[in-house]
Amino acid sequence: MNGERIAIVGVGQTVHKSKRTDINTAELCAEAVEAALADAQMTMKDIDCVILGSFEPADGYSGPDKWIVPEIGAVGKAGFEMQNVGTTGGVVAATGFNMAASGLFQNVLCVAWQKMDEAAGAFGRGGGGANEYWTGQFPMSPITNFARRTYDYMTRSGCTEEHLAMVRVKQDQCAQRNKNAQLKLGLTVEKVMNDFLLAWPIRRLHMCPTTAGSAAIVVCPEKRAKKVTKKPVWVEDWFTCHQGGALTMAEDPQASTLGYACRKIYKRCGITNPKKEINAWEVYEPASTAELRWMEEVGVAEDYKAWKLFEQGKVGIEKEIPFNPSGGVTATNPIGATPVVRVVEASLQIRGDAEEHQVPGTINRALATAYGGQGENVVFLLKKTL
Amino acid sequence: MLKKEEPQDPSVAFRYPRVITYKHSLGYQSKFAHALKMGRIIATKCPVDGRCTIPPRIVCPMHHVKQTEWVDQGQRGKLLSAFKINFPMFDSRTGDLKSWETPIVSIELEGGARMDGWCSETDTEKLKPGMVLEAVWRPAEERQGRVDDILYWKPV
Amino acid sequence: MSQNIKKSVADIPEDTIVVEVQGHSNFLVTVGNTGHQFMLELKDNKTITGIKCPGCKKVYVPPRSHCPTCFVKMTEWVKLSGKGTLDTYTVVRYKEQYMPKEPPYAYGVIKLDGADTGIVHMIGGVDLNKIKVGMKMEPVFKEQREGSILDIEYFKPV
Repeated sequence: MNGERIAIVGVGQTVHKSKRTDINTAELCAEAVEAALADAQMTMKDIDCVILGSFEPADGYSGPDKWIVPEIGAVGKAGFEMQNVGTTGGVVAATGFNMAASGLFQNVLCVAWQKMDEAAGAFGRGGGGANEYWTGQFPMSPITNFARRTYDYMTRSGCTEEHLAMVRVKQDQCAQRNKNAQLKLGLTVEKVMNDFLLAWPIRRLHMCPTTAGSAAIVVCPEKRAKKVTKKPVWVEDWFTCHQGGALTMAEDPQASTLGYACRKIYKRCGITNPKKEINAWEVYEPASTAELRWMEEVGVAEDYKAWKLFEQGKVGIEKEIPFNPSGGVTATNPIGATPVVRVVEASLQIRGDAEEHQVPGTINRALATAYGGQGENVVFLLKKTL
Repeated sequence: MLKKEEPQDPSVAFRYPRVITYKHSLGYQSKFAHALKMGRIIATKCPVDGRCTIPPRIVCPMHHVKQTEWVDQGQRGKLLSAFKINFPMFDSRTGDLKSWETPIVSIELEGGARMDGWCSETDTEKLKPGMVLEAVWRPAEERQGRVDDILYWKPV
Repeated sequence: MSQNIKKSVADIPEDTIVVEVQGHSNFLVTVGNTGHQFMLELKDNKTITGIKCPGCKKVYVPPRSHCPTCFVKMTEWVKLSGKGTLDTYTVVRYKEQYMPKEPPYAYGVIKLDGADTGIVHMIGGVDLNKIKVGMKMEPVFKEQREGSILDIEYFKPV
C-alpha cells in the first residue's frame, strides 16, 4: 500500500446503555472524545482533523455535525461528517485512516455516535438501503433481513435453533466480562430458546439492542505515533466495499461482500491461514445468528460448518477461537458508532488493555469489521508491531 | 413489545412528529412500474452472465455493463423462504405500529429474477422451499404501478 | 411450471413515472442535564441563565456542556436579567410546513446583557415595520410554562 504507515494512539468509548436521559447527543460524543484524548495524552489543541458520523436517519438531526463539532471543541479543524447506516463507524474510521495515511494530517480524531433511545421508528422506514418504492409494502428491518439469512443458513448447513442459542450464550458470557457492554443477562440455551419469537428463527435475544453510546479514536502517521505513545496499534490494512443486490433480500439471501473483502485484504497482507495468523476478532454481527456465517466468511470456519465449533465449545475468550471477546453487537449496538467500538475493542486486545475480557497470550493481529444495511462491509486489520 | 414511552416533561425530553412528502423518479425502472399496471412482471438482464434482476437496474452491479434487455418473468415462481413477523412493527407508509399476520415470501420467478411478496397461506409450516406460487393481482383499475399491485402469492 | 415467459416486452411503455412517497418520523429529543437546568429556570423562575467557561470566561446562552473553543466542561451558571440588544432580524412572510407560528412574524438574534452569544427567538409586541437593529429587548414569558424554549413567547422592545 502507498501512503504513510499509521497507528491508533488513543481510544475511548462511553459506557453503553439503553437510555441516557442525563445528556444530549452532542454531550454523549464529548464523553467519548474526552476519553480518547485522555488515552492519547492529547488535548483538542493537538488535533488537526476531525472525522465524525452517525446513522443520520436514526438520529433525528439533519447535519448533526453542525451542532456537535462546536460541542466537542473542534471548531476550525479540517474534517467532515460521514453517514452510512450501520457501516457509518466503519467509514468514519476508514476515512480517518485515509486522512492520516495521506500525510496531510498529524493527529486525526474519529468520533461516531448513536443515541437510539431517541430514534423511535427509524427502522420502520426500512433501515439501511431501504427505498420506499421497492420495500414500502413490507416492514423491512434488520430483524426481517436476518430472519431470512438465518432461515437460509439453517437450510444449507443443517444447524438447529439450539446452535443459534449457543452463539447467543457465548456472546453473553463475553459481555458479562466487559465493563462497557450494555446487555449482561446471564443467559442459558434454554432461556434463549424460550425467548419471544420476533420472526422465526429470530428471537428477541438474537437481535442487537438499541443503545445510546459513542466511541472515538485518535490516529497518527508513523513518526508522530512513535513520539506520542509507547503502545501504538498499527493499522496494517483496511478495505471497504458494497455488494450487488442489496435492496430486496430475495435477490440473493446469502449475498455478502465480507468474504470478498477479507480475501482481498489477506492477499495484500500475505495472510494464508487467518485462523492462525489473526489472534482476536471483533466482527459486526447485527444478529447473533449472523456470527455463524460471518465466521465462515472471515476464514475461521469452513463453509456452513461454523455451528459445529459452538457444539464443540471451541469459541470464547479463552478458547481456540476468540470471536467477539467484547460480547459483540448483540450485547451493545450504538449503531453508527458500533464499528468504531469494534476498532476500539480490537485495539485494546492488541495493547493487552481489555482487562476482564482480554484474550490470553500475545495478540499480534486483530481483525475488526463493519456491516451496514444489507450490503456494505468494511474490514480492518490491526497489528502489534510494524 | 415495543412500548411507546411518552416523555412527560419537555424540559427533559420531547417528541417532534414529522410527515414529509418526497417525489421519487423511477427513471429507467419506470418500465417495470408500467408492466405492473398491465399485470406483468419484467426484469433487466445482464448481458454478461444472463442474470435477471428485480429491482431492474440500468447497469449490472457486478459486471458494470449496461443492461438494455428486459425479460418477461411470468406469473409463477418457486418459494425460496418464508417468515412471519410475530410482533408489531412500524408501517413505513403511516408511521404507526401495526400487526402483520401474512407471511413474507421470497420467490424465484420463472424468468430467474427474485422478488419479495405476501403469501395467502398463513401457516408457515405448510410453506416449503421449492413449492410453486402464483401471483394474484389487484383489479386492473386499482393498480398504481407499485409492487403491491400484486396482492399476494398463492400456492398452485 | 408451465407458463410461457417468452412474451414480448415491446408493448410496455417506458416514459418516466414519479411516485409520491411519505416519510413519517417521531423522534425524541433528549435535552440533557445542562439544557434541563436552563429550561427549569425558564419555567419556574422566568429567568434566563447562561453558563460560563472557566478557561476563556465566555458566557453561553443557551447553555452547553462544553466550551466550543476550550473543550472544557462548564459548570458555573450565570443568572441574566433577560434584557439585551437586537443584533439582527428578519420578517418571515412565506409559509411552509412546521413553522412555529403563522406568518408574517419576525425573529432575530438577541445578545443578552452579560452573555457573549446571541439567542435566536421571535420578536413581538411591535409593528413589524418598526423593528430596528440595536433596539433594547426584553422577554415576554407565557402564563402557562412547561419547560421549553417557547416558554418565552417572544422578545419585545423595552
